[in-house]
Amino acid sequence: MLAGILLFFIPGRIRFVKELISILAVMAALYSSIVLFGTGDKLISVDDALRTGYQAHHNCLLADHGSICFQVDGLSRLIVLFLGIFGLLILVYCLTYNKGRIKGFYSWYLITLGASYGAVLSDNLLLFIIFWGVLGITLYKLIPGTDEASSAAAKKTLIIIGASDGIMILGIAIIWKICGTLSMADVSLPTSGALTAAAFLALLTGSFTKAGAFPFHSWIPDYAQYSPASSAAFLPASLDKLLGIYFLARITTDLFILTDPWRMLLLSLGVITIVAAVLMALVQHNCRRLLGFHAVSQVGYMVLGFSLGSMLGVAAGLFHMLNNVIYKSGLFLTAGNVEFRTGKEDIDELGDLSRSMPLTFFGAIVFALSISGIPPLNGFASKWMIYQAIIDFGSGSGLPNKLWILWLGLAVFGSALTLASFIKFIGGIFLSGKKQEFAQVREVPVLMWAPLILLALGCLLFGIFATGIILPRLLMPVSGVFVPAGFWNSSLVSVLVLISVLLGICLYLITGMKKFRTEDSFIGGEKLYETTGYPVSGFYHTLKEFRLMAWFYQKAEERWFDVYELSKRFTLWLSSLASRAHSGILPHYTVWIIAGLIILLMIMNT
Amino acid sequence: MNPIIPMLVIVPLASAFLIMVLGKLIRDLPGYFTSAVFLVLLITSYYAWMHNGNGITVYKVGGWEAVNKIPIGIYMVLDGLSVIMLCLISTLGFLSAVYSLSYMKRYTGEEYYYALLCLLVAGMNGVVLSGDLFNIFVFLEISVIASYALVAFGVEKNELEASFKYQVLGGIASLLILFGIGLIYWKAKTLNIADIREAFKAGYDGTYYTFVQMLILCGFGVKAAIMPFHAWLPDAHSSAPSPISAMLSGVFIKAVGIYVILRLFFSMFVISEQIAFVITALGTLSMVFGVFLAIGQWDIKRLLAYHSISQMGYVIMSAGIGMILLSRGTRPDVALLAITGGLYHLINHAAFKGLLFLNAGALEYRLGTRDLKEMGGLASEMPITAGTSFVASMSISGIPPFNGFFSKLIIVIACIRGRFYLLAFLAILVSIITLASFLKFQRYAFYNKTNAGKDLTGKEVATPMVFSMIVLGMLCLLMSLLAIPSVRESLLKPAVDVLMDAGNCMSKIIGM
Repeated sequence: MLAGILLFFIPGRIRFVKELISILAVMAALYSSIVLFGTGDKLISVDDALRTGYQAHHNCLLADHGSICFQVDGLSRLIVLFLGIFGLLILVYCLTYNKGRIKGFYSWYLITLGASYGAVLSDNLLLFIIFWGVLGITLYKLIPGTDEASSAAAKKTLIIIGASDGIMILGIAIIWKICGTLSMADVSLPTSGALTAAAFLALLTGSFTKAGAFPFHSWIPDYAQYSPASSAAFLPASLDKLLGIYFLARITTDLFILTDPWRMLLLSLGVITIVAAVLMALVQHNCRRLLGFHAVSQVGYMVLGFSLGSMLGVAAGLFHMLNNVIYKSGLFLTAGNVEFRTGKEDIDELGDLSRSMPLTFFGAIVFALSISGIPPLNGFASKWMIYQAIIDFGSGSGLPNKLWILWLGLAVFGSALTLASFIKFIGGIFLSGKKQEFAQVREVPVLMWAPLILLALGCLLFGIFATGIILPRLLMPVSGVFVPAGFWNSSLVSVLVLISVLLGICLYLITGMKKFRTEDSFIGGEKLYETTGYPVSGFYHTLKEFRLMAWFYQKAEERWFDVYELSKRFTLWLSSLASRAHSGILPHYTVWIIAGLIILLMIMNT
Repeated sequence: MNPIIPMLVIVPLASAFLIMVLGKLIRDLPGYFTSAVFLVLLITSYYAWMHNGNGITVYKVGGWEAVNKIPIGIYMVLDGLSVIMLCLISTLGFLSAVYSLSYMKRYTGEEYYYALLCLLVAGMNGVVLSGDLFNIFVFLEISVIASYALVAFGVEKNELEASFKYQVLGGIASLLILFGIGLIYWKAKTLNIADIREAFKAGYDGTYYTFVQMLILCGFGVKAAIMPFHAWLPDAHSSAPSPISAMLSGVFIKAVGIYVILRLFFSMFVISEQIAFVITALGTLSMVFGVFLAIGQWDIKRLLAYHSISQMGYVIMSAGIGMILLSRGTRPDVALLAITGGLYHLINHAAFKGLLFLNAGALEYRLGTRDLKEMGGLASEMPITAGTSFVASMSISGIPPFNGFFSKLIIVIACIRGRFYLLAFLAILVSIITLASFLKFQRYAFYNKTNAGKDLTGKEVATPMVFSMIVLGMLCLLMSLLAIPSVRESLLKPAVDVLMDAGNCMSKIIGM
C-alpha cells in the first residue's frame, strides 16, 4: 500500500499517466482498507510481515524496546476505511479541478494518503510521529505558495504543525521514560503525576493542532482560504480531522486515564472552540474562510464527546467526526465548484447560482442543513447523540458533571449560530439578487459533481440509518456496546420528518403560493433577501455592535487569540533584543571573550 | 593501514604547493586537480572507516618507538571518532571543490583559492589525526590561517572587515590555547594526549588544573563559536565565498573546535561534574540564543551562520549531558544515548548546513544578492536549488523523515531519560524556532512572488553546483538510516566508544 504510493514519486511527467497511476493506487488502497476492515483485531509484527514478503520493514528506532509496528483494531479499521473512501472521492474531483494548479500535486497527494494510513495503523509511537511529521510537509506542499498570502498561510501552517510535532516528541519521550515501551497497546497511564500530565498535554497539543481545536486552530481558516479547494477538502476538512480525532480518541481512551480536572479542561476547550469559531465564521466574507472556521467549530463537538468518557460519548464523538468529514469536505467541494465556474470566493460578489448550478446547489443545501443539525440528516443524528451523552454525564458527581447544563447550553447555542451562518452561505452564493456577470455560468463537469452528490447521499444515509445500521455496524465495535437512554429511532424520525415536509409542500402548493421548487421550502428566512435585497454578508454586522462582541471581534482582528501571532511577536522581540547586543564593534567582542573566561573561572572556583 | 594516516595530511599539503606552481602554467588545472585530490582523500578515508572498525591505529612519525612505555615520537592516531571526522572533511571538501569549479569563475586568482582550500583541508585532517597537543596546535594554525585568507578572498570592504575581526578574535583564542598547552607541558612534562592523561591521573593540583581546563575551553570555544565566544562567526561565515562557508560551517568549526573539545575533555582531562555542567550550560546558551539571533536576520548567509551556532549548541549540550552522566557514573546507557545523539547531530549538521550554504551560494550566484527581501518566486526558475534547500531546511528543523529529526529525537529522549526536562523543552523550543526561521527563508526566497519580474535573472545554476547540491540532498535523506539501531551500531558505535571509554583507549595508545 505504502510502497506503491511512495514509488510513484519517481516516474513520468505526463499528466494522463500520473492521473491513471494515482487512481489505481488509491483504488488499491481503498480495496486493501476494505479488506482490512473485514479482518479481526491483530497486531502485525514486523517479523510476520517480512515472512509474508512485505517490504515495509520498519525497525523501531531505539532497539530493544518493542519492535511491533502495525496495529489493527476497531478504531483504526474504521478510520482506515474512511481514509480510503475520501482519498478516492476527492481524487476524482481533483482530476478536473486541479489542472496545473500545484506542481507535483498527485505525488504529494499520494504521499499524504500513504502517510495517513501509516499513522493510523502504526502501533509504535515513534513510527507514528514520523508519519505524522510527513503529513505536515505534504500539507505545506499542497498550497501553491506563489503569492504572498498563500505562502504566508503555508508558512504559518507548517510552523504550527511542526511545533506541535515537536511538543509531541516531548510527550512520547516522557511516556517512554515512564513506561519503558512505545507500543500504544501497552501504555495506560493515570493523569495524576506532573510528568504524566505533561505527557498528556503534549500529546493533546498534537491532536488538537491536527484536528484544529481552540488554542491551536488558527492555521485552518488561513489554509482553507488560500489553498485550492481540493487541498482544503482533502486535508483540513477530511484527513486531518480523521487523524486528529483518531489520535484524540487514542489518548483519551487508550493511553491515558482521565481525571476530573482534565475533563473540565477538555470540556471547556471544547465549548470555547464551538462558540468562538462559529462567532468568527458569522462575520466572514470569503466563503472558504467561513468554512474554515466551521471546520474548527465542529471539532469542539467531537472534543466534547471524547471528554465525557462514557461509551456513548466516545461513539458520539466518532460518529460526529465521520459525519463532519462527509459534509465538511462536501462543502469545500461546493465552494470549489463555485470558484471553478465563477472564479470568485467572496460571498458579496456571488449570488443567484441556484438555477445555473442546480446539482451543486442541492449538495450545498444538504450539507448546510446537515452541519446545522437539522433532522433527518447525519449532523442531527450525531449532535443529538452528543447532547444525549452530556445529559447522561450530568448524573455523575464530579464538578464537571455538575456543570453539564453549561456544556449542553453552549453546544446548542453553537449549533444555532452554525445554522445562522449557513443561511448566509447558501443565501449569499446561491440565492440573493441576480447578477449579470453569472449569466454564462454552467454546472460543473460530471467528475466534479459526482463526488459531491455521493457525499450528499452519504449525509442522507448516515442520518436516516443512524440507529439501525451505522451505529451497530461501524461504531459499536469501537466504543463498546452502550444502551442509550431516551434514544430515538432515526429511520422513524426521518419518515416523520419527510412526511411533514411533504405535507408542507402540499400545503404550499394548494394554498396557491407561487412556484417554489421543493428545496426552497427547507430554508427559513431566504425570502428576506429577495425582498429586501440587503447584502447578505452584512447581515450579521449587528452582532459586532454588542459591546462584548465588539471587544471580541476587535481582539480577534488584532489576532490576540492566535497562538501563532502571539509567539511570533514575542520571538521577534527577543530576537531584536539579542541583535542589539551585536554591535559589530571588535573591542566589544574581545571583551566578551575575556569576560566569558573570567566568569567561567569564577564559577569554577567556587 | 598505517601509511594511509600521514598521507591524509601530506597529500593535500603537497598539492597546495603544487597548485601554486602548476596553476600559473595551466589555467583550468587547479580546480580539477583539487577535486581529484579530494576524491582520492574521500575514497581513502571511507576505506579507513570501513576497515578500522573498533580498532585504534597509531602511526609513529619517524618510527620512534616508546621508551619504557613513555611515548617520545610524534603520534598520529586514527580511531573511531577521528575517522568519522575525516570522512566528513573529505566529503564536504570534495563537494565544495566541485561546486567551486563553476562558482569561483567570478573571482580572480583561482589558484590561490584552491591552494588555500587544500591547506584548510590539510590542517583539519592534521588536527583530527594528531595524537599530541603541539601538533594539534600547529595544524590548527595552518587551517585557521588558511581560513582567514579565504574569508577575505572577495577583497572588498565587508570581507576584509570580517576577516580582520576573525583574525583578532582567532588570535586571542590561539593565545589562550597556547598558554594552556604551555601550562600543561610545565606540569605534565609531556604533550602526548594519552601520556598527559596518565600524568594527571597520578595526581594534580586542583586549582591549577581547573585554570588550564578553562583556558583550553575558552580557546577552543572561540574556534567552535560557543555562545559568549561566537562573535566572529556570523561575519566570517557570511563573507566567505559560499563553498568556503559550507566548509567553515559544515566541518571547520567541528574539526578544530568541537572535535578537539570532545577529545581533550573526554580523553585527556578527567571528567568532573562541575566542568560537565559548565559545558552543558554553554551549549544550551548557544543553542537558545543562536536561534533567536538567527530568526531576525534577512541576510541568508548570516541567518545560516547563526543557525550554525545554535545547532552546535545541540551537539555540545548533548555531549555535556553525556559527561555529566558519565561523571556521576549512574546511567551509562543514557550517557551513551546522549553522546550518540550529539555525534549523530554533528554529522547531520555537516550535510544539511553544507547544503544550505551551497544553496545560498547558488542564489547569490544568480541574483547577486543575499538579501531575502529582494528575492521571491524562485521555485519555478531554480527547481533543484529550491528542492534541495527544502530538504535541508526540513532536515535542520527536525521534520521527519529527514536526518535532523532523528538526531534531535535521540537528543531529546536522552535529555528526558536523564531527567533534564528543562533542556528537553528548550531543545524542542529551539527546534520550533529553527523551523520558523527556515520557513521564512523558504517563503521569501522561493515563493511569495512580490518582486517577480524586477531583476530576477534566475535560472538553474551550472552542473557542478547542481551535482554537489543533489549529492548533499541525498545524504540528508540517506543519513536518516543511521537511526536504525543495527546501522547505527556498526557505524557510530566505534566513535562513541572512544568517548565513553576514554581511559581504556588512551592506555591502548600508550601500549602501542
